[in-house]
Amino acid sequence: MTAAEPSRRGSWLGDWLDAWNTFWFTPADPLPLALVRIFAGALLTWASFVWWLDAEAFFSHEGWQRPENVWRMNDQPWQWSWYFAAGSAGMARMLAGITLVAAVMLALGIATPLAAIVSLVGLISAVNRAPLNVFGLDDTLGMLLIAVAAGPSGAVLSIDRLLAPDIAADRPSVRANLSLRLIQVHLCVVYLFSGCGKLLGASWWEGTALWGAAANVQYRTLDLTWLASQPWLINALTLSTLWWEIAYATLIWPRLTRRLFLAMAVPVHLGIGLAMGMMEFGLAMLAANLAFVPADVLRRLLRPLLSRSARTPSHRA
Amino acid sequence: MRLLVSLALVAYLAAVIVPPLAGPPPASGLAMAALQPLRPLVGALFLGHGYRFFAPNPGPGHSIQWTMKMADGSTRQGLIPDREADWPRLLYHRRFMISEKIAAFVPPPDAPAEVRRQSRGEWQPLVKDVAGHLLHRYGGAQVTLQMTEHYLPEPEEVIRSEQGGAEQGRDLVTPLGTYALAGTQSLPGTSLPRTSLPGESPMETLNR
Repeated sequence: MTAAEPSRRGSWLGDWLDAWNTFWFTPADPLPLALVRIFAGALLTWASFVWWLDAEAFFSHEGWQRPENVWRMNDQPWQWSWYFAAGSAGMARMLAGITLVAAVMLALGIATPLAAIVSLVGLISAVNRAPLNVFGLDDTLGMLLIAVAAGPSGAVLSIDRLLAPDIAADRPSVRANLSLRLIQVHLCVVYLFSGCGKLLGASWWEGTALWGAAANVQYRTLDLTWLASQPWLINALTLSTLWWEIAYATLIWPRLTRRLFLAMAVPVHLGIGLAMGMMEFGLAMLAANLAFVPADVLRRLLRPLLSRSARTPSHRA
Repeated sequence: MRLLVSLALVAYLAAVIVPPLAGPPPASGLAMAALQPLRPLVGALFLGHGYRFFAPNPGPGHSIQWTMKMADGSTRQGLIPDREADWPRLLYHRRFMISEKIAAFVPPPDAPAEVRRQSRGEWQPLVKDVAGHLLHRYGGAQVTLQMTEHYLPEPEEVIRSEQGGAEQGRDLVTPLGTYALAGTQSLPGTSLPRTSLPGESPMETLNR
């Protein structure tokens, strides 16, 4: 990346401003953001379908929680939801269906800016109406959808782009950079607090925490109780996960360690997904990690797909 | 323009960073005070997260068993979540979160009476709504719920068990009460199952 602003070096404050401007306002390739959009859209499609399957229980007045009780639990009036107006099961199902359609459109890149906003509104409405049913997947989707809605996420790999070819559309842009930076910084915050929270627990220091996850029957989708006879392996897996989470916020930035930290994200999140039945959460976190994958690497990997759908932007050489 | 965007970025970053500093406990008074002006942004954009995944320690799992008496005197039973019936897995997980989140407020049955009395104000409104939903969904007359904390065995216990040794520890069961919708007649010839919570009425009436 190159600095977007003329240098004001010479003062400590000027160096800070230069660094701020370079970090946030240097144009970036929108391809990683487009990939985040596709994954986030696909995951939201699936999540919305599952909400829709039991929309009456999640969102109607006769659901798991009555709206007045949810209103009491939430920080109102800020935690709004369009489902508060949905008294009947039919209305709840219709609103869930709107999110589902928007999520499909987002994944495919149809009317992308509008689809992204409706998807975000639909997600926030669902989680604020059904707070007892929410978990990490929803936190992560929220983080991704805010960035996807803020940036040019339909600039490439989208139906919008196929229908209205625009040579300049996938050129590097400041908005693309802002969105990717939002995900990157947010992801660092997530891992940092997740890691620091674990430091309060003895089992993470003792290296036995992963056993607690493996032996929990309610979560289990893969029987890992054979780990009982492998205490050192449990120690190694626990401590490496803990170290990776705590160090992520600092060591994901240097080129020297970025590959290692991105590579470790794959077994950590797929492992949680496969063993604990939270594959959607694992995939959402991996989609967030895409924000750290350099665009030129992604362009090399996706060259056949991109050459068919795009022209020849100047930055692709 | 760049200044305006920068100000918006600072506000957004504050809304991302302050909530996990302010909760869950332990949290500083400073962080909780800093959260106050950010509440509109945090609430509107769904940013109020602690990110304490499996922290401080991965704990035992929980489920809620319910037994419903139908108007014709028959009985129906169920589980939240139900590994057999709740499919796809994401639906199971959404329902699993109900028992996990309610469990966070429910003290064990052997907790001091004062602790149990105080915590009731936290968990009972949630349980009442769950009971009301079940009665509405299945058309029952009354429903009794109990929380099970599933025993988390130590590795040595699993090894001993595989070798035919001693049994593992027991699950911990906590009664959550019996509930009926307002206007529902008592069932003739049935006695309401009492919960084991001292001082609790045998049946709570729900206004839905």
